[in-house]
Amino acid sequence: MGLDLLLASTPSPAAGNGGGFDLFSILLWPFKWIVETILVAWHWLFTAFGMAPNAGLTWVLSIVGLVIVIRAAVFPLFVKQIKSQRKMMEIAPQLKKVQEKYKGKRDQLSREAMSRETMALYKKHGTTPVSSCLPMLVQMPFLLGMFYTLRDVGDHAKHGIGGVGLLHADLTKQFYDATLFGVAPLHIDLRTALETKPAGWEATVTILVVLVVLMIVSQFYTQLQIISKNLSPEAKTGQAYQMQKIMLYVLPLGFIFSGVFFPLGVVLYWFVSNLWTMGQQFLVIREMPTPGSDAARAREERLARRGKALNAEGKIVPIAVYEAEQQRLLEEAERAKEQAPKREQPMSKKRAKKKGSN
Amino acid sequence: MSALPSYAFGTARFRASDLIRGILVLPRNAVLAFLVVYRAVISPLYGDVCRYYPSCSAYAVGAVQQHGAVWGTILSAWRILRCNPWSKGGVDDVRPHAHFHYELTPHGFVVPARKD
Repeated sequence: MGLDLLLASTPSPAAGNGGGFDLFSILLWPFKWIVETILVAWHWLFTAFGMAPNAGLTWVLSIVGLVIVIRAAVFPLFVKQIKSQRKMMEIAPQLKKVQEKYKGKRDQLSREAMSRETMALYKKHGTTPVSSCLPMLVQMPFLLGMFYTLRDVGDHAKHGIGGVGLLHADLTKQFYDATLFGVAPLHIDLRTALETKPAGWEATVTILVVLVVLMIVSQFYTQLQIISKNLSPEAKTGQAYQMQKIMLYVLPLGFIFSGVFFPLGVVLYWFVSNLWTMGQQFLVIREMPTPGSDAARAREERLARRGKALNAEGKIVPIAVYEAEQQRLLEEAERAKEQAPKREQPMSKKRAKKKGSN
Repeated sequence: MSALPSYAFGTARFRASDLIRGILVLPRNAVLAFLVVYRAVISPLYGDVCRYYPSCSAYAVGAVQQHGAVWGTILSAWRILRCNPWSKGGVDDVRPHAHFHYELTPHGFVVPARKD
């Protein structure tokens, strides 16, 4: 998620120069339309419950609603991936064999061969540790659509026009007039607030700074939790891990600079979105940790204190059942060992002949 | 970032004498330049996400090299659509162009083939 946010923020200066019909806005059009529809639908719902249509709280809650809809839509994919990770435990021995085979070989051909074998193994067993590319890339235009929808409100309201879809001119004006806590307009960003100094700008700047800091801290904390607790030892050896560790500190720096240009509405969206990620991550780290990670060990310890353990299928069972299962598995392994044909010492032909003659 | 498959790079070099003939492969090299930057800067941030070998971005490199900027992009888009949570993944190479008459540089750019 963190990366998406930074990428969404990077093209903003270039694309900010107007409402021209360039390729970028054409591609973004459907996503903006969907974002506007969700936003307006929530707004309609809240006003139907008797909230003022131009009140700050109504629009803030609509933004929260937008976060909920978008994050809930990708939630099933998230669960699916977690479940797939469980299945990974079954193929771990075979995976290890492939890794052993190419241990210490850093040349491109070996890496290619290793990747091919690993992928073929995943496919054979119908499981994979990775999420797939499409959801990653699909989230990006939605985020950009949200970013530009919220950001364009300022421009559109000044020209008395609406957005691309249901966010028509009147609603845009209402959004424009909406203020957080009665002072901070949702369309204002830190730089504008400092330059134009509108009425009550001190409070506005304070609110913006606090929200930007909250956004950065929540982002950093979530990343830190994943990296420090929920990575398996194998994942901690790769090049990607080094990059993630660097990004952990680079991303907040990026946000300090770009946060100055984010309108209050956008900062709010990202903060709420980060809260969702934090909650989701907390649950995963606690209840569905990556096998082999520190979080998984902590969970096993917690279970042990309650007199429970994880059985071979990853289900929680009482410790007695677990021990019985371990005993059974051990016996099965021993029996299999006994039944397996014993290896015979190879014998030279000469010796065999000698033995036969005796 | 997954490694580029061995068919996606070569040992050829761009020579100044090929400037005119090189215009033909300019579009695909422009796309390839974008892909090289993407794979160096953005790919590592995502970590390993792709369900296939070669990964979607590495597939895109191969597809654009073999089939050009337009058809290569279409093939890559189709591949990204296939790389979804319901796909099985596995090994999925680019179908090479039947009459590929260019050469590849070590970074995967396309240059006109030597006449000699």
